[in-house]
Amino acid sequence: MRKESLKNFYYDYIQPLLVNKKSLIGLIILTFFILMATVGPLIVPLDMTSNFAERYQKPSLKHPFGTDYFGVDIFQQIVHGSRSVISLTMLASFFAVLIGTVIGVARGYLEGIVGRAIDAIIMVFLVIPSFPALLILAAVFMNYNLNVVEIALLVAVWLWAPLAKQISAQVLSLKSKEFVEASKMLNMPLRYILFSDIAKLLIPYIFINFVMQIKGAMEFSVGLMFLGLAKFDPTHWGIMLNYALYQAGALYTAKGFHYIFFIILNIVLLIYGGILLSQGVEEVFNPRLRGNE
Amino acid sequence: MNYFVNRLLYLLVVFVIAISGVFVLVNNMPGDPAYGLAVYIAQQRNMQFEQALEIAHKMMGIDPHESVVTRYVKFMNNLLRGNFGYSTFYNTSVNEIIARALPWTLFVISLATFISFSIGIYLGAFAAQKRGKTIDTLISTLASIIQAIPPFILAVLILFVFSVRFRLLPLGGAYPVDMEPSLSISFIGKVLLHAVGPILAVAIPQMASWTLSMRGNTAQVMEEDFIRFAEMRGLADSVIASKYIRNNAMLPLVASLAIGIGYMLGGQTLVESIFNYPGIGFYFGKAIAVRDFGLLTGLFSLIVIGVIVATFVADFVYALIDPRVKLK
Repeated sequence: MRKESLKNFYYDYIQPLLVNKKSLIGLIILTFFILMATVGPLIVPLDMTSNFAERYQKPSLKHPFGTDYFGVDIFQQIVHGSRSVISLTMLASFFAVLIGTVIGVARGYLEGIVGRAIDAIIMVFLVIPSFPALLILAAVFMNYNLNVVEIALLVAVWLWAPLAKQISAQVLSLKSKEFVEASKMLNMPLRYILFSDIAKLLIPYIFINFVMQIKGAMEFSVGLMFLGLAKFDPTHWGIMLNYALYQAGALYTAKGFHYIFFIILNIVLLIYGGILLSQGVEEVFNPRLRGNE
Repeated sequence: MNYFVNRLLYLLVVFVIAISGVFVLVNNMPGDPAYGLAVYIAQQRNMQFEQALEIAHKMMGIDPHESVVTRYVKFMNNLLRGNFGYSTFYNTSVNEIIARALPWTLFVISLATFISFSIGIYLGAFAAQKRGKTIDTLISTLASIIQAIPPFILAVLILFVFSVRFRLLPLGGAYPVDMEPSLSISFIGKVLLHAVGPILAVAIPQMASWTLSMRGNTAQVMEEDFIRFAEMRGLADSVIASKYIRNNAMLPLVASLAIGIGYMLGGQTLVESIFNYPGIGFYFGKAIAVRDFGLLTGLFSLIVIGVIVATFVADFVYALIDPRVKLK
């Protein structure tokens, strides 16, 4: 029985993603970075000691991405930094989806004054420009040496609102459906209706949004690090970029081009992987969602 | 007209909540609102923390014995009179900084938006007409790759390639430091040259997203029945393409155009910082870096006002251009 449902899950959700060209390439790119973050640091050692004799070396077999201003291997830093880049991005997307779903479902289901109050909260977060607000929040908390989870939460606070609005609209249209009415008439508890009847139908929708959040979470966290507002890992790509530009001045010497180029290449490739996967996922699952409406 | 009064009131409430939230955040942190500034001063001047805290209090104009409520009333009262507060770092009123910075930001935003919108609309409609052909795949793929590049990363690339490598563009600023602002042709030329970098960094990602949404909208409109009907009436393809398809596909985009301009007021912090371009975003970044919370709350209030005005204008514009939405 269990095996059967796993098989169904594979045919319903996984296989269509492997057939779609966009989501397949997106998955390959993301898998590559996840492998880099999980297995990479075990294979590639990190040596951060300065070696000025090897400053700004061009990419070679010894240094695949070349060396930076301090003569430190850039490839090693990228590999080790991927761990905090990926974990921060994934955690921030996860929190954003979690907050957005809970608030969205609550807004869609609750009526009266509570519903309106939640509506106003969503509206406020939609109107406040997220990036400046995130910067203020980070500046206020800067002296508290936040860890990955806390920074992810700071980022997620400014990402959840659009999702909550969409989810609440979905719930509003679902809750007038016959099967929800039926559960209500059977005197099922609210908990059951919310989590069993409604949440189940929202799962593909939530998954799409999780993937879509990757771009925003990535842009926000790299921007935050780039401004030097959260410094928990010197090899995070945003902090590397900050060092490259403001500490080492790599931008202003032609020799430093590969330094900046490889950091940017990795950031952009990771975001592109997220975009491709979300486009693919949408192409695959959207007709199904429309069918539910 | 009732709808607009309601909407305006609603946006006002949102504004007050948003500004109050930021005020509470900055002023009611665990500990002292001047804590961050004090740490900064202590680090910069190598002094005792207590001493630095006292200086920080003086700089921020905070009386540590005054209650938060009094401070809040003062702040809101000032804001309603159009006084955005005082910047301790620049030692001047925030209004003066806004007067100095806002024209540059508006200049860059308006040019960038105009360029990206007109090209994006054209490319998106073109790609949708050629759906499935190589040129469409090329445009859409390119647009989604560009979307993967955050604007500030693009700014770094532009600065490196055009300013450092090929020396075609200046390294930063709004005009050369050794030039007096005037209306001479050479000065205006320099101003335009200095704006090219920021404009490109803002316009290129925008263009990609306009292209993609216009392509989607056009494809959707092309499936509508009234298009088929227009074809059956024997109208020329060019008339259908411009009058029937493009105008209808553009409609939702014009509304988001207004909102987008509002958000851009504060959204280009990193781009302006990278180009040292003295707009609102540049000063916002500066305020963050030196923990100038007076300047920070002042500029943030301005940014929120921008968004709210833009949202309101968008509603209005939408009602004007779309005959299906009636002004009531």
